[in-house]
Amino acid sequence: MMRILVIEDNPSIADAIAQMLEGQKFAANVVHDGEAGLDHLLRQSYDAAIVDVMLPGIDGFTVARNARAEGVQTPILMLTARDAVEDRVTGLDCGADDYLAKPFVEGELIARVRAILRRADRPLVTVIEVGKLRVDVGARTATYEGKGIDFGATEFRLLELMARNAGIALSRTQILERIWDYDFDGSSNIVDVYVSQLRRKLKKQGANGIIETVWGVGYRLTT
Amino acid sequence: MGRRVSTNDVIVRTAAYYLAGFVCVLIALSVGAYAFMAREYASLMGPALGTPEAAAGIASAMRHVVVTIVTIDVPIVILVAIASYVLARAAIAPIDAARERERIFASDAAHELRTPLTAIATVAQAARANASPESRAAFEEIARTALDASEIVSGLLTLARDPRPAVLQCEPIDLAAVVATSVRDLSSMASVRGIALEGETGSAIVDGDERRLRELVRNLGENALRYARTSVRIASERTANGCELIVEDDGEGIPSDERERIFGRFYRRENDGAGTGLGLAIVRWIAIAHRGTVTVSQSSTGGARFVTTLPLHRDA
Repeated sequence: MMRILVIEDNPSIADAIAQMLEGQKFAANVVHDGEAGLDHLLRQSYDAAIVDVMLPGIDGFTVARNARAEGVQTPILMLTARDAVEDRVTGLDCGADDYLAKPFVEGELIARVRAILRRADRPLVTVIEVGKLRVDVGARTATYEGKGIDFGATEFRLLELMARNAGIALSRTQILERIWDYDFDGSSNIVDVYVSQLRRKLKKQGANGIIETVWGVGYRLTT
Repeated sequence: MGRRVSTNDVIVRTAAYYLAGFVCVLIALSVGAYAFMAREYASLMGPALGTPEAAAGIASAMRHVVVTIVTIDVPIVILVAIASYVLARAAIAPIDAARERERIFASDAAHELRTPLTAIATVAQAARANASPESRAAFEEIARTALDASEIVSGLLTLARDPRPAVLQCEPIDLAAVVATSVRDLSSMASVRGIALEGETGSAIVDGDERRLRELVRNLGENALRYARTSVRIASERTANGCELIVEDDGEGIPSDERERIFGRFYRRENDGAGTGLGLAIVRWIAIAHRGTVTVSQSSTGGARFVTTLPLHRDA
């Protein structure tokens, strides 16, 4: 049976989430504060954790960050306040796998939990090195010759995709589908916009020309 | 929604009033000084008045007076303009602080409401599993109402902020993708209502907040589906100097005297049961925050046609 840790300070919400999980044949364990939650994540093995952002003591982001720093690979679903864009961005930056806004519909919660469990099934390479470029997917950081480069979320995903396929020319359509889930007919030059942004940022750190334009195909990260 | 004005606009406008007031006083003083000097010269020249030499003398003296007055006035006006700006800024500061406090209060209140609403929605949904059929329907109703209330709270939280790009998470995004995903999300509502939903995805890249733009299209789309008779069309297209998102239906349309009011908070049209009453206010907020506009007119089928215009991304 899959074991899921629920870190949520409001007892009625925590119990209701546990009930929903148990209804789907998951075993749920509830703790009400960040310290206890982190302790559980470090000492016991869970298949996934649902972590509320607003916790007394240490908050949900810190729990996730500290757990990742200690090498805990448990997939984490963050529960954030609705509309808090900052929460969404910080949540994914601190090592959480997904986020869900409160209040949520039960089906959505279960679907997200199943999705992060599936993702955890196939371990991915988390650090990709291509020449002097180093992309740390887990920590969401990228460096060139040891110098850090600041990328936005979408830029980072594009860089990751190109790094995973270094030396291979990716077509615009392939990039569109993998990064944006675009499924409309017709053309879009959004890929070119992002590639030029990536190039600009890479060039600032001396990584000039590492993204090549392959005429008639698309783009390639040189090895 | 009242048109919002930025703090800087208010300061500049207030300073302009101060300055205009002062300039009026200055003109009156200058004219007074001029008249006084003219009378003095005239009485000084008294007996010799009327000779050509006297006339020329007075004219040259008065030119000197004018030059003196203007050279004194110009630096005064500049100084007063600066002083007006500084004073206006000082006068606005407490109002600005009050507005900020109000915004923080609205945001705190919304967050405080969200926790109990989340508890109600979550507990009711969890209780559904073991409930009898009648209670089950009641729990579902409770959960749905709590989710709706939370939606209103979110809407108010959005509208409490100034609509400007700083409150968005902008990045280049193709409106065609926004249209494609929105049409996919709305398709089940369209089929339940038996309405043909058509999406036209013309590529147009904007610097936008994807989540917000999807919310904009969803709100307009749901609105159109509620009023349409047979069909709704959602389209994105690039125009000569920007891009447009078009959502149109073949319903009754919106009478011209209502076209501005429908964007107000909690404005409800007749026979409009569903919805939070904030949908279109949020649509306008999102458009303005993206430095765009939204207007409504009549579609070719006599229904409502909402056009949102947005600026193009600089590299697009």
